[in-house]
Amino acid sequence: MSIELDNISYTYMKKTPYERTALKNISLEIKKGEFVAVIGSTGSGKSTLMQHFNALLKPDCGTVKIDNIDINIKSRDCKSAKNKVGMVFQYPEHQIFAETAYEDVAFGPRNKGLSEEEVERAVRSALKCVNLDYDTYALRSPFQLSGGQMRRLAIAGILAMEPDYLILDEPSAGLDPKARDDIFREIGELYETRKMAVILVTHSMEEAATYADRLLVMSKGKIVIDASPQTVFQKQRKLLKEVGLDVPETIKLAECLNARGLNIAEDVIQKQDLVTAILEWEGLK
Amino acid sequence: MLSDITLGQYYPGTSPIHKLDPRSKILASLLYIIGVFLATEPISYAIIISFLFGIIMLSKLPVYLVLKSIKPLWIIIVLTLAIHVFTGQGEELWSWKYFTVTKEGLAMGIKMSLRLILLLMISSILTFTTSPIVLTDGIEALLKPFRKLGVPAHELAMMMTIALRFIPTLLEETDRIMKAQASRGADFSSGNLIKRIKSLLPILIPLFISAFRRADELAVAMEARCYRGGEGRTRMHELQYHKRDGVAGVSLAILIVVLSFLRWGLA
Amino acid sequence: METIIETKKLSHVYLDGQDNEIKALDNISLKIKEGEFVAIIGTNGSGKSTLARHFNALLRPTSGQCIINGLSSDQEENIWAIRQSVGMVFQNPDNQIVAAIVEEDIAFGPENIGVPHSEIRKRVEAALATVKMTEYAKHAPHLLSGGQKQRVAIAGVLALLPRCIVLDEPTAMLDPQGRAEIVETVLRLNKEQKITIIYITHKMEEALLADRIIVMKDGCLVTEGTPKTVFSEVELIQELGLEVPLAAEVSADLKLAGKRLPAGIITHEELAKALCPLN
Repeated sequence: MSIELDNISYTYMKKTPYERTALKNISLEIKKGEFVAVIGSTGSGKSTLMQHFNALLKPDCGTVKIDNIDINIKSRDCKSAKNKVGMVFQYPEHQIFAETAYEDVAFGPRNKGLSEEEVERAVRSALKCVNLDYDTYALRSPFQLSGGQMRRLAIAGILAMEPDYLILDEPSAGLDPKARDDIFREIGELYETRKMAVILVTHSMEEAATYADRLLVMSKGKIVIDASPQTVFQKQRKLLKEVGLDVPETIKLAECLNARGLNIAEDVIQKQDLVTAILEWEGLK
Repeated sequence: MLSDITLGQYYPGTSPIHKLDPRSKILASLLYIIGVFLATEPISYAIIISFLFGIIMLSKLPVYLVLKSIKPLWIIIVLTLAIHVFTGQGEELWSWKYFTVTKEGLAMGIKMSLRLILLLMISSILTFTTSPIVLTDGIEALLKPFRKLGVPAHELAMMMTIALRFIPTLLEETDRIMKAQASRGADFSSGNLIKRIKSLLPILIPLFISAFRRADELAVAMEARCYRGGEGRTRMHELQYHKRDGVAGVSLAILIVVLSFLRWGLA
Repeated sequence: METIIETKKLSHVYLDGQDNEIKALDNISLKIKEGEFVAIIGTNGSGKSTLARHFNALLRPTSGQCIINGLSSDQEENIWAIRQSVGMVFQNPDNQIVAAIVEEDIAFGPENIGVPHSEIRKRVEAALATVKMTEYAKHAPHLLSGGQKQRVAIAGVLALLPRCIVLDEPTAMLDPQGRAEIVETVLRLNKEQKITIIYITHKMEEALLADRIIVMKDGCLVTEGTPKTVFSEVELIQELGLEVPLAAEVSADLKLAGKRLPAGIITHEELAKALCPLN
């Protein structure tokens, strides 16, 4: 059960003066149950890569397989394979169109051809995942919701497809800290309960380090690092800097403290671990 | 991708035609069109066609590019030709069952379709050599005297400016929304007509909402930058006539005089 | 220093879709001095954007007053003078650029107030140079990056020669690089050209750069002060749904665990010094 990319490349506006290679020979496997963060600066190819996961873009060469089905070859199973991938674009609330929250969330399940009872079940469960109370919100116009609620409703629209692989492109963009934390708490819970794969595309090192257990660092259309956050921040500092990325604030603080004479591990990512490490050091002193 | 579509058909360059003031170019095109309708004799057509090719040479546009502008309307041109050829009255050249081709019909058909072709070519030379923004400025300047008659010259120009600015942005947005809905399993290409139109709603509704939101925000931003209509406004680029505009004017005047002479003679 | 903006018991009430009265601003009294860099922070719906729109007379007070450069925004005849002296930059870079060519867009403001064309040209060039976009003068805005678009928007405001610029979440839609570009530009305008900056944000990292922070909640002023005093109140700020610097958060936790630390720690260096005073 995995998404498998085998040696894919992609070029925008081929055979024009504006030709630009966005992906170069990428091979990758993401298994169900993984929480992967894709990081890289703008133009590194993150969004292009993501659009290959459900055949929105077709690679120039190479194959994309979902649970062993090539999604770029038309076949009976190809559509259902694509439907296993849920894609949450940046500012997903901009795709909301229906008159009620219910109708909007039901769009995906209906396209999948589910019966009305199944659709209702999927909608109820999706709204529950994003903490929007069914009785309060289902029949409301989506356009009366607050910014954070609209974002969550749009995510519910994807969750109702019940994907095995959930891709999120900067789900916290433009939200205030509280709304951002709400969204990430919900994503975390979902990941735990549904045992799906989550692929988080983000600019924030903190988000990547806090939530993912595997980091893919992209630069100039290639994956330059594929490792756990700890390894990346401990061993690949120089490479990170070269591709224009930073380390999380916690690691910077730990370094600064050590420079002053403390002695704590420099791979702490959670604030709580940092506090514990400082207290332990205090005790030893 | 949708956003690959280029807007307008401006072909950048520095030729004398490119450098003409947009007002002169618009007026000259209008005069040329009058010239096209003045032409009746074969000699007139020869003059007016050579004049057009002279302009193409001066503008350094590839000839095939200008000829290609006929393509979108070729059906209408062929139809015009056919209607005249088969319905003309006069000296019979050839006949088969219900179809009769007359000498007069053939001449008329050729004349009419030639006029259409010349109209298309001159207007595409105008748009090939003038960027949409400069063209807008030209239209605004030309319409200004008619403001007293209630022609909203400034408003029209501002609308065109904003449209030019936002069409690429909205194309990108359409692309994004289409991809988002496709990811939710939307199918835009199958089923009967009604089903297909219905399947466009999930794209059109978000697109309209976004366009209205943008319009709203843009209006506020314009107001914040002291926008209050065309009254008392100045422009960074003041349009100015140069010597070449005079040359263009004189050439067109000569063309019109010659064509009028050929049509009505000295009388 | 001279006061450039003052609000006196400013309130703003509007009607929502169901005709309910919503109090977006409630009795706000504050003063902003010429040359200051003030950050206004608060979560979405705290009223910070509404307040910003009063500074440029896009909104008029329901009650109370907003006085800009000695001109009250409730007088119709003052509006254009106010909008000239206080520029606004908004969140979405796409929706504030009017023209399809960068330099034409920057000329839009001066054109509106009837500046002669040779002078407009000079202003446009100066504004482009200030935001370091000179080489993009003839470009189409839709092909620029977010940070570049936002710098064009700033240049468009600069061309009106304002004394104060209000930026309403200017980095919310930008990537880290664009964010850095805007922050750098804003700081430079404040330090070099002495332009008063009012910076609306919910990003703690950006608020830290201000001389003074004003914290808002539900249309009211909650607290104000230097970044140091505001962000030392870890509990208060977090309760409002905002972030504090990591060093402040960690020192609050350490204090909770019994460690004695001085007040006002917000930078890494300050925390390190407090923990290891000897080195």
